[in-house]
Amino acid sequence: MKHWLYMALLVVLFVAPLLALVVYALAPGWRFPDLWPHAWSMRTIEQVFMGPQTSRIFSHLLWSVVYSLLTTGATLAICLVPAQHLARHEFSGKRVLEALLLAPALVPAMTFSMGVHFAFIKLGLADTLPGVVLVLTVFSYPYMLRALVAGYQAFGREYELCAANLGAGFFQRLLSVELPLILPSAIAGGSVVFLVAFSEYFLVFLIGGGAVPSYTGYLFPILNSSDRALGSMLTLVFLLVPLLLFVLTDVVVTRAYRKRGMY
Amino acid sequence: MRTLIKLSPLLIPFCVLFLGGMVLAVAQSLGFFAPLEAEGGLFAAYSRLLEPPFLRSFGFSLYVALVSALVSVGLGSVLAYGVWKLPASLQKTATLYKVPLILPHIAVAFMILVFWTKSGVFASLAFHVGLIDSAGEFPSVLYSGNGLGMILAYVYKETPFVILLALAMLKRLDPRLIQTAVMFGASRPRIFISVVLPHLKPVLHTTFIILFLYSFGAFDIPFLLGESSPAMVSIEAYNLYFQRDLSNRPAAMAMLVVMFLFAALFIGIYARVVSRMEMRERKL
Repeated sequence: MKHWLYMALLVVLFVAPLLALVVYALAPGWRFPDLWPHAWSMRTIEQVFMGPQTSRIFSHLLWSVVYSLLTTGATLAICLVPAQHLARHEFSGKRVLEALLLAPALVPAMTFSMGVHFAFIKLGLADTLPGVVLVLTVFSYPYMLRALVAGYQAFGREYELCAANLGAGFFQRLLSVELPLILPSAIAGGSVVFLVAFSEYFLVFLIGGGAVPSYTGYLFPILNSSDRALGSMLTLVFLLVPLLLFVLTDVVVTRAYRKRGMY
Repeated sequence: MRTLIKLSPLLIPFCVLFLGGMVLAVAQSLGFFAPLEAEGGLFAAYSRLLEPPFLRSFGFSLYVALVSALVSVGLGSVLAYGVWKLPASLQKTATLYKVPLILPHIAVAFMILVFWTKSGVFASLAFHVGLIDSAGEFPSVLYSGNGLGMILAYVYKETPFVILLALAMLKRLDPRLIQTAVMFGASRPRIFISVVLPHLKPVLHTTFIILFLYSFGAFDIPFLLGESSPAMVSIEAYNLYFQRDLSNRPAAMAMLVVMFLFAALFIGIYARVVSRMEMRERKL
């Protein structure tokens, strides 16, 4: 009984606010002082999925998915080799360097991004997709780095040495030995990076400048308007994307491991 | 040398974009690359920061960040202990606490709007309980100059983060320690303060730093929930840079540089104070 009360508390604190959004989305007429809406309506569903704005909404959503996935890929690419080195080798100044490399996630992102923005305007990278991906990558790679370093520390060098001993070159070792071993950590880090990039408003808005469409950019004015119902519905759509993506990766990875008999 | 080559995929973007961006921010704050000729010497922009309006918004940012980080860490550690004590069968369902982790900050800010405005969910509740007779009587939680709206948003978003990290640490807490404490007749608050908290201390320090600095320098939540006076430093700098005349740009960049320097200094001092406190404890 006591345990169930505690579960109820967790639900009220963390899940109930979301349920309120569901009610708002389906009952646009719900307002003070009603505790429960009088009438339900499909208005927001029609607006989002079948209205004149539908194609705009989903193209913004698609752009957000694209730049978030590119960011995830970029962080993996730049962190893979350095993470292995940091996990396996000792060198002087390593602790300071590791702390420095985590800084972009800790210190306020506005300082470096507004500086970079200036350079990007001169270089023609402002208002472009590569510019947005570059800035998001610098902002979010620490999560990937942490996950990969921890992953490499979890298994020793033996697999790599063994493969090298059997005559495997650098790329073959990377593709057939290291990547499968590090994949779970890469997925863990990648999920965080994706989430950070996908839900970031300011950096995309600053560097993308409206020329790179983003779901957060589309959402913001609506959240700030008086149409609570539409805001709620669009927020719920927002949540679906990462959820779907996480389920999808989970299914794909499990299947891949099963095929190889590793799971 | 080998180390440098191996780390270069990371070091090059780090130096070019992060450090480079930092250098450009500092340069702009000193009046270089300014759209208008700067007047009054190199540090003119910084001297403007000593005036009361900026000091007020700096203090306000500090206050919002401190309160939201403290409340999140406190609430999160208590809730994490509660989750840890749940029987194994319920542990999986308890992961529902992670919901706010996947919500973007602007969505969290929106939810605070939905709940706390004078015509929001809580106002309706208060009306039905009989606490208020009209929407106007509901206390102004948002936009009242005390930052409460932002604090609520940060606490809702950050508490699950604390629970997540604290739970990972609690996995390594030996339940027999708690049983022993119970046998010696320790009360529940006593157990939490003397057994659980000391075990959680390292991870709580780290999360406090992360949360404090995030809410100190972030933009998204204050942009939706913030008041104009005093405003958070991030909003102030943004407005100065983009919305007023071009001569303000060095001052805006100076604000951002000060924000960064404060963050760096804070990490350094905090780490030192904590390690000194631990040294003293070991001596005792």
